[in-house]
Amino acid sequence: MARRVRDVLLIGMALLWLIPTYLVIVNASTAAADYAGPRWWFSSWGFFDNLATAFETADIGRAMWNSLLYSTGAALIAVFVAALASFAVVIMPVKRPAMWFWAIYTGTLLPLQVFLSPLFNGYANTTLYDTQYGMLLIYAAIAIPFAFFVIRNYMTTAPREMMEAAQLDGASWIAMFVRVHLPLARGALLAAFLFQFLATWNDLLFGITLSTSPNVRPLMAALAELNGQYAGLGPPVILAAGLVASVPTVVLFLSFQRFFVNALRLTP
Amino acid sequence: MTALNERDSALTRRTKPARPGQSRRPHGSLLLFLFPAVALVGVLLILPFLFTIYRSFFRDNGFSRSWVGLENYTTLLTDDIFVRSVLNTGMWTAGTLLLPVLLGLLIAVGTNSVRWGPIARFAIVLPYALSGAVTALLWNFMLQTDGATNALLSALGLSALERPWLLEWPMNTIVMIIATTWQATGASMILFLVGLQAIPAETIEAGRVDGAGGFRLFRSIVLPQLRPISVVVVGISLVNSLKTFDIVWLLTRGGPGTSSETLALTMYRQTFTLSRYGYGAAVAVILTVIVLVASWTYLRRQLRAN
Repeated sequence: MARRVRDVLLIGMALLWLIPTYLVIVNASTAAADYAGPRWWFSSWGFFDNLATAFETADIGRAMWNSLLYSTGAALIAVFVAALASFAVVIMPVKRPAMWFWAIYTGTLLPLQVFLSPLFNGYANTTLYDTQYGMLLIYAAIAIPFAFFVIRNYMTTAPREMMEAAQLDGASWIAMFVRVHLPLARGALLAAFLFQFLATWNDLLFGITLSTSPNVRPLMAALAELNGQYAGLGPPVILAAGLVASVPTVVLFLSFQRFFVNALRLTP
Repeated sequence: MTALNERDSALTRRTKPARPGQSRRPHGSLLLFLFPAVALVGVLLILPFLFTIYRSFFRDNGFSRSWVGLENYTTLLTDDIFVRSVLNTGMWTAGTLLLPVLLGLLIAVGTNSVRWGPIARFAIVLPYALSGAVTALLWNFMLQTDGATNALLSALGLSALERPWLLEWPMNTIVMIIATTWQATGASMILFLVGLQAIPAETIEAGRVDGAGGFRLFRSIVLPQLRPISVVVVGISLVNSLKTFDIVWLLTRGGPGTSSETLALTMYRQTFTLSRYGYGAAVAVILTVIVLVASWTYLRRQLRAN
């Protein structure tokens, strides 16, 4: 009896959870011209026309390309730089490794708001404002602390003997890093890359603060504009754009679920 | 930058003698390995952070700046908008600690050992894979006065329950917390599931043999075993809720008026809409202090208890 109640509750909840997703798919598929209040069933097919409208009016395609560039670029830079620093802190005989750890890690504890206005002024004064280069730079910087945290944790577990074998070979630090430690930390590097790719892809705050032109603006900022300034286009257009914007995150997340979980478990 | 370089070289000069079997000294390499991370984080994050603290002691409109000491902070305490913003942030924290964490735990426990578990869990996890901005677009469609929720209520003959969800406080904050619950429950569910699967089968079996079943088994055997993972889930949830920005910005812009503002939005509006850089900086500093104190207090208590 208790079991049946539990089953009904859980199934009910799962169905409840699916309602918004279902309604979004239905309404994103409704032809914009036919839309007169929310639809419950598929009645006309206009998904690709809606998408085309969003791409033409709010330049969503360009924004997706920008976000792809920032997410890939910033995550690659951050993972490489964080791997270098992790190697220095864990493997090299650094004086006071804890101090260096905190110097880098602090960045992830602070709320983003605390960086915003000085960054805005600094960017405006150095012509980095509203440039792709500037966006890439801040996304890389903000991604480093957590990538560093994940990779450093992983490197502290690297087998000591392997490292010493490479040392006796007379390998230089750089050779040791490239030939032994980078390959050993493959899993952590991939996890950190995926995390930072998604974090950058999902960012709204830096996008609306440090960029303004369609050529530079990342996807979430463009969607915000679509939702505000272009709200007149109607829900089908906005929802179709939103669905397409989620494809990369949904695909990455579902294919690498295990990875995210394992990486998260390293957190204290 | 020069200060940073000096510190680096001062550091390497005092470096311990190399370990046996190692003839290289790390001087140049150390700089090469540590410098990029320290420079990027230092210039783009730590410097702006310090400048925000400095700026919070000034009246600053972007053109002129005058020292006012703690005035920005004392003004904040008597500012009704700020007090409301703190209250909203408190509601966000309480709501997202209660709903997504608790629901995540219940769904993880409930679906862990049933055949159709993976399907039910997929429905819960799917929203988590969407980004915050997309979740906001979706719920904007659901919650607008002429949106899907009201249309659904009317179709079900429940017109009495229809209301302007996003236009009345505190309802607007509450429905946005529910929207976030829809998205975030999947994350806590996954983490609890990992914790559940790490519990040794013998432990559960021993409990069963001792006559524990159902709720008692859950409370006295399963729950204590989930403690380490709960620390992670609650910790993440706590920090995220204090920093809530995206969904509120997209659904209400903090409005109507400033009624649904969280601290993150108050900071943004003061700084970039009203150009009150000093005042905005003070809000940012207070937000930072709250985040750091909350996570530190929480983690210290949890780690000691373990």
